[in-house]
Amino acid sequence: MLQLTNISKHFGPVAALDNVTLSLRQGAIHGILGENGAGKSTLMNILFGLARPDTGKIEFDGRRVRIASPVIAQRLGIGMVHQHFKLVESLTVLENISLAAVRGLWSPGRRELIGRIRIWTDRLHWNPDLEKPVADLSVGQRQRVEIVKALCTGGKLLILDEPTAVLAPQEVAELIPALRAVAAAGMAVLFISHKLAEVQKLCDRITILRKGRVVYTGSIRELDAGQIAEKMIGARLKIPHLADHQEPPGEAPRWDRGELSPPRLELRNVSVRSSHQGAWLLFNVNLSVRSGEIHGIAGVDGNGQDCLVRCILGQIEPVDGNVIFGDSSDSHRKTPGINPRSPLGCIPEDRQREALVLPLSVQANLMLKRYHTSPFSWMGLCRFGRWRQRSAELIRQFDIRCPDAQTPVGMLSGGNQQKVVVARELGEKPRIILAVNPTRGLDVGASAFVMKQLLAARRDGAAILLVHSDLDELLAISDRVSVLYNGQLQETSWPDASREQIGKMMLGVA
Amino acid sequence: MTTFHSSPLQRHAGRFSRLISTVALIPLAIGTCGLALGLVLSGLALVGYPPLAIMSRWVDGSIGGIYPLTNSLADACPLLLTGLAAGIAFRGGVLNIGAQGQFLLGALVAVGLSTRWLIFHSAPPVIILAILAGTFAGGLWALLASILERYRSVPIVLSTILLNFVALYVVRAILQGPLQAGGTPAPQSPQIAPAYWLPELIPFTSFHLGIPIAFVLAVLFYALNQRTTFGFESLVVGLNPGAARLAGIGVSRKQFLLMFMSGCCAGFGGALQVLGVTHFMTGSFGNYGYAGIAVALLGRLNPLGIAGAALFFGMLDTGALRVEESSLALPHAVVNVVKAVVILLMLLLSAYLLGRKLRTRQVDPPPANDQGSDKP
Repeated sequence: MLQLTNISKHFGPVAALDNVTLSLRQGAIHGILGENGAGKSTLMNILFGLARPDTGKIEFDGRRVRIASPVIAQRLGIGMVHQHFKLVESLTVLENISLAAVRGLWSPGRRELIGRIRIWTDRLHWNPDLEKPVADLSVGQRQRVEIVKALCTGGKLLILDEPTAVLAPQEVAELIPALRAVAAAGMAVLFISHKLAEVQKLCDRITILRKGRVVYTGSIRELDAGQIAEKMIGARLKIPHLADHQEPPGEAPRWDRGELSPPRLELRNVSVRSSHQGAWLLFNVNLSVRSGEIHGIAGVDGNGQDCLVRCILGQIEPVDGNVIFGDSSDSHRKTPGINPRSPLGCIPEDRQREALVLPLSVQANLMLKRYHTSPFSWMGLCRFGRWRQRSAELIRQFDIRCPDAQTPVGMLSGGNQQKVVVARELGEKPRIILAVNPTRGLDVGASAFVMKQLLAARRDGAAILLVHSDLDELLAISDRVSVLYNGQLQETSWPDASREQIGKMMLGVA
Repeated sequence: MTTFHSSPLQRHAGRFSRLISTVALIPLAIGTCGLALGLVLSGLALVGYPPLAIMSRWVDGSIGGIYPLTNSLADACPLLLTGLAAGIAFRGGVLNIGAQGQFLLGALVAVGLSTRWLIFHSAPPVIILAILAGTFAGGLWALLASILERYRSVPIVLSTILLNFVALYVVRAILQGPLQAGGTPAPQSPQIAPAYWLPELIPFTSFHLGIPIAFVLAVLFYALNQRTTFGFESLVVGLNPGAARLAGIGVSRKQFLLMFMSGCCAGFGGALQVLGVTHFMTGSFGNYGYAGIAVALLGRLNPLGIAGAALFFGMLDTGALRVEESSLALPHAVVNVVKAVVILLMLLLSAYLLGRKLRTRQVDPPPANDQGSDKP
C-alpha cells in the first residue's frame, strides 16, 4: 500500500537519505533500524509531510502522492506517534483526540467520535476513562492515547518514532500485543527504533538504514542479532583522509600500559539521577584520560552522553562521585565552564547553540575565550589590534575560509563554522580537550580536518575525551574505547576487541 | 555605520567621530521622512487640514528658535534615559519593560528627599544626594524583578510590567500620604524649593544641567558597548547565553548587573525630570518609560542611535504643542493620531532600511568552501 522509490534528501553537503526504496503491505509491521543519523527521522518526516524529498516518488494506495504537510498526510490516512507526545495535558483524553480530528471548520460530533474511539480501544483491549485529564495518565497510557489519536484520524498507516524510548519494560511488554492488534485490523505499522530486541519481537520485516542508504530489506528471521548489529554499524569503512595523516604505528605515542602517566581528567564513581523520574542517567561511571591519549566514548545517542559531558563541564552536580582535574595546579574541584582560565577546551555538540554567536564576526567568536586576558584587553578595554592579529593567525593556522575576519560567523558554511570552534578551543593548546560529536553535520573533508586537529593535539600531549556516536570515526583515532549504554560505562579492550563486539555492546546485546 | 547586529566591536577609534554623526542622524532623517509621510497620510484621512501648513508649524514649534529647541531637548532628556535603560538591558538579553516604574520611583525618591526629608542650607549636596538616591531607587526596583526571576522563575517581561503598576500606585499612595502638598486632595507633592532646582544653563529656558549630562552618558554607554570587555560580554550574553556560558561568562550575574544598570538609568531620568523640569510630582507623571522602549528599538539599541531617536521624539512632542495651539486648531486627539502614525512609519522605514542593508551584506562564501578544507 505504501511504496517509496529512490527517495533522496540532502542537507547541505550531507546526504541524509540516498536512494531509499521501501515498500509496505497492509497488515504488516515493518521495522526501520539504524544508528543515530542513519536517516530514520528524515524518512519519517518525509512520510508525515514535515520534510520534502529532493528526488524520488511516493505512492500511497497505488496513487502517486505529494505529502506537502502533516494535514495532507493525515488526510491520506497516515498517523504518527512522536517520541515526545503532542498532547494537551490539561484537556481530557476525549478532548485531545477531538482536537486532532478537526478538519477545517468541521469536527465530528461527540457521539460519533466516541464510537470511533471505542472501536479502536476495544481492539487494543483497553478501557480508558475518556473524561480523565491527560495529566493524570501514566506515560504508557499517554502513549496509548497518542496511538488511538493517530488511528482515529489516520486509519491506514501508523508511524511510531522510537515508541519504547520513554516506556518502562512492562509497558513495552504491553505495547507489543497492542501493535499486533492494530496490524491485525488491517493497518500498516512502521516501527522505528534502534533497539534490537523489541524489533525482533514485534516486526515481520525490517529495513536497515546506514548513513542514509538501505543496507538490508527483508524478513527479520533470516538474520540473527549479531548480523543485524553488524549491518547497522556497518563493515569497517576506511576513512581515507585520516589514514593519510596518521603517523606510522611505531612513532605514534600510543598509550602504553607499562608506564602510566597520571590521569589529567578523572571521573570516580560518578552517578547522576534525573530529578523527576528518579531514573539513573549515569550510574557509577569511572573514567580516566591521560596525557597524549584519545579516550573514545562510543554509544548510541541518549544513553547518558549529554549528562556525562555536562558533569565534566560542571553544569550539573553528580549525586555521587567526583570529577577530578588531575593537574596539581587545579586539583581542587573548580568548574571549568565558569573558570575561563581552565585548561579545558570543549567542542560542544551543537555548535550554533552552545559555541558560536552567529551574528558576531569570526574575530569576535575566535576571541570569545581569551578576550579578557592579557594581551587582548587592558584595564577592561578591548585591544582590537591584538584581536585582529591573533584571529588572523588562527584563521591562517586553521584554514578558516571567510571573506575577512569581520564577516559574521552565521554566513560561513557549517564546516568553516566548526573550524572557528576548533580554532578557538584548540588554538591555545589546552591540556584537556572534551569533544562531543565534533563532526556532526560536516562533509567528509571538514570531518577529516577536525579529526586531524584532534590527532595533532594528542601529539602535543593533550588529554582528549572524545564522545562520538559515529563509531567508524571514533575507532579510527581513539587509543582506548569505552562504551556507554544505559548510563553505564564499560571499558573495552580496544584495539584488541573487535568492532563488532563494540557494536553489540552499544546495542546492549553483548 | 554599525548596528548591534553587524558586529560593531571591531570598528575602531578612527571612525569614532563619523559614527556619532551617522548613527545619531539616522533616526532623525528617517523621522523627518516619517513626519512628512505621516502628515500626508493622516491629512488625507482627516480631510480639511492642510498637511503642509501643519508640517511647517510642527517643525517651527520644535526647532524654530531657542525656546522650542530647548523645550525639545528638555523633553528628549527623560526619553533618552529611559531609552538607554531599555537599550542596555535588551542588548544583554534582559527584557526590562519596567522603565516606567523605575522612572517613577526615581522621581518619587528625588522629590521626597528634596522637599521633606533632606533640607540643608547649601543646595549642591541636596541635589546630588537626591539624584543619587533616585538613581539607586530605580536600580533596586529593577533588581526586584531579577530576584523574582532568579528565585521564583517569574519571567522578567511579566514581572517588570506588573511592577510598573505597583510603582504607580505606590507613588500615588505616597503622594496622597506623607508627601502630599497642603491644600489639595489630589495626589501631588509640594513644589521643590527653587534653590534645589537643577541650574538652568541658558537663563529663562528649560535647558537644565541634566540635559548635557544625559547626552554625555549616551556617549559613555556607546564607548562601554563598543570598546570594553564588559560591553562585549553583555552582547554575547544577549545573543547566545549558551556560548557565553561555555566561554566562562557568568550569565546570570551579568544579567543581574545589566538589570541594575538599566533601572539606575531610568531612575536617574526620573530624578532629573523632577529636579530639572517639573519641580513637583503628581500621580500621573508622563509615559516616558514606555516611550523609552520605542526610542530604544528605533535607535537599534545603539546608545547614539537612541540619542537621535530621543531627540526626534522630543521634537515631535514639542512641535505637537504648537500645532494644537495654532490657528489651525487641530484637536489634541488628531495630533496624537499623527504622532502615532509617524512613529509607526519610522519603525517600518527603519526595519525596511535595515533589511536592505542585511541583504546587501549577504556574502557568498568562496566556492572552495565545501570541499577544499582537506587538501593534502
